[in-house]
Amino acid sequence: MKSAKVLFPSLARRLMVCALVAIVVVALDGAAHDVMAQNPFGGPRPAAEPEIGGLVGWILTKQSEFYREISTALRAAKSDGSAVWSLLAISFAYGIFHAAGPGHGKAVISSYLVANQETVRRGIALSFASALMQSMVAVAIVAVCAWLLNATAKTMCGAEKAIEIGSYALIAAFGASLVWTKGGRFVRALQAPRPEPVLAAAAADGHDHHHDHGHHHHGDDHVHDAHCGHSHGPEPSELAGPGGWRRGLAAILTVGIRPCSGAILVLVFALAQGLFWAGIAATFAMGIGTAITVAVIAVVAVSAKDLARRVSEARDSNGVLIMRGIEFGAAGLVLLFGSALLLGYIAAERVTCL
Amino acid sequence: MTLVLRLLSALALTFLFGASAAEAHPHVWITSTSELIYGPDGTLTGVRHAWTFDEMFAAYALQGIETKTKGAYSRDELAPLAQTNVESLKEYAYFTFAKADGKKEKFNEPVDYFLDYKDNALTLHFTLPLKTPFKAKALVLEVFDPTIFIDFKFAEKDPVKLVGAPEGCQMKFQRPNDGSASAQRLNEQTFMNGGENANYGAMFANKITVDCP
Repeated sequence: MKSAKVLFPSLARRLMVCALVAIVVVALDGAAHDVMAQNPFGGPRPAAEPEIGGLVGWILTKQSEFYREISTALRAAKSDGSAVWSLLAISFAYGIFHAAGPGHGKAVISSYLVANQETVRRGIALSFASALMQSMVAVAIVAVCAWLLNATAKTMCGAEKAIEIGSYALIAAFGASLVWTKGGRFVRALQAPRPEPVLAAAAADGHDHHHDHGHHHHGDDHVHDAHCGHSHGPEPSELAGPGGWRRGLAAILTVGIRPCSGAILVLVFALAQGLFWAGIAATFAMGIGTAITVAVIAVVAVSAKDLARRVSEARDSNGVLIMRGIEFGAAGLVLLFGSALLLGYIAAERVTCL
Repeated sequence: MTLVLRLLSALALTFLFGASAAEAHPHVWITSTSELIYGPDGTLTGVRHAWTFDEMFAAYALQGIETKTKGAYSRDELAPLAQTNVESLKEYAYFTFAKADGKKEKFNEPVDYFLDYKDNALTLHFTLPLKTPFKAKALVLEVFDPTIFIDFKFAEKDPVKLVGAPEGCQMKFQRPNDGSASAQRLNEQTFMNGGENANYGAMFANKITVDCP
């Protein structure tokens, strides 16, 4: 973006991409309304799940068991201090299983990692930071609302609902900003001159080893930017810098702002038992468990992208385009996900309001 | 390229749908006893529920309620909470779904609702009047949360009672852990919606059937 000439076309292209995504979202919105209208009970959001049993069923059963044991362990801790250890162990196990369910940022964090040139290490760091923040928010809500203000469940639930909507809006906004940047890169990759087919064929003709070597030397991003003639995308090395972490912070905030209902219930119950501190400890144990599951999924996402990169690098005519497409797709997914949550088509874990 | 695309689309689908597919587990447990109320003319007029909450949710619900005596909650002191409860339940159709000879029946807003707190257990009592009382040869009443945020379990003793039912009416009660029933339920559900929106939570339904001559 060195001059207005360069700036405006790229701005127009980005706007077009964003508009396209918006149209898709609106279209999906309409379709979903039709589906909703056919809901036989006119009841709550559709919880579509055609298959049970297997892994999902097992996870559901396990987390249910652990969750119920938390209240028993908390009660036991009241008279027997050593029961706190089993409380922590159960909470930790619950966190691991529970994070496999919705609402713990797996989708957002993984998509974010795929959309950006992120490392496995950063994926793990983001998972832990966001889970830690989730725990802190849960503790803060209960500490302020229930402990300090002695607010009723109705008030607390109102606060949770507000936070929930805010967090969905944040996911959508975060997705929109990712779509904005990744859309630009994708469009540029689309327009980048591609090597002649003859050239590609020649390169594939027994020179693979040499060709690969060249890639290792330069790094694909560098090659891409050299092709395009201007550099907008962040170099992998830039990500470790302060700017990179600031962007990571956006992901942490987006995911971490919404506490899980289970943690809130455990905390209020602990408070009622006069064991608030044990509830806080249990919440953080849950958070660590959650972080582990999210981190595993994040690592899988990053590895999948690395694999995709390696496969696509072997075909240098479309490799860059595929990678930009993937990044753009991941960005779009965050936006789609946030919008769907906001509009109520994907049921996340419900807020405790009854 | 196909491999990459396949890999990525699989990943994308997992995130988008996997998230909602691996639905949340129950956070609230309700033990229910229900009565089916019949009018003098033999029509079903409504359903009276008594829902006892688990202790964790009870602690949450009771948070911040001022009482004269600590730990004891009178019906009056719990009245605002009961009001909130029945108002919130509207959004979820009171988790109570009735069908008369295959036709869906609607409920009006609850009446005679109150909470009581006995032996450390919080119980919500309410009556759901039917919009139009009806006579049915085959009545099916289901109680469940489609999103399984709430786990409904009927009491071991006298889970369902018929009050003033006409002579010869036969009541059957099926718990959700009856495997064959849930499989059948799911098929019916899937069929009804044309495969759309197959209701996972329906497999956790408590099913009451009343057959009258």
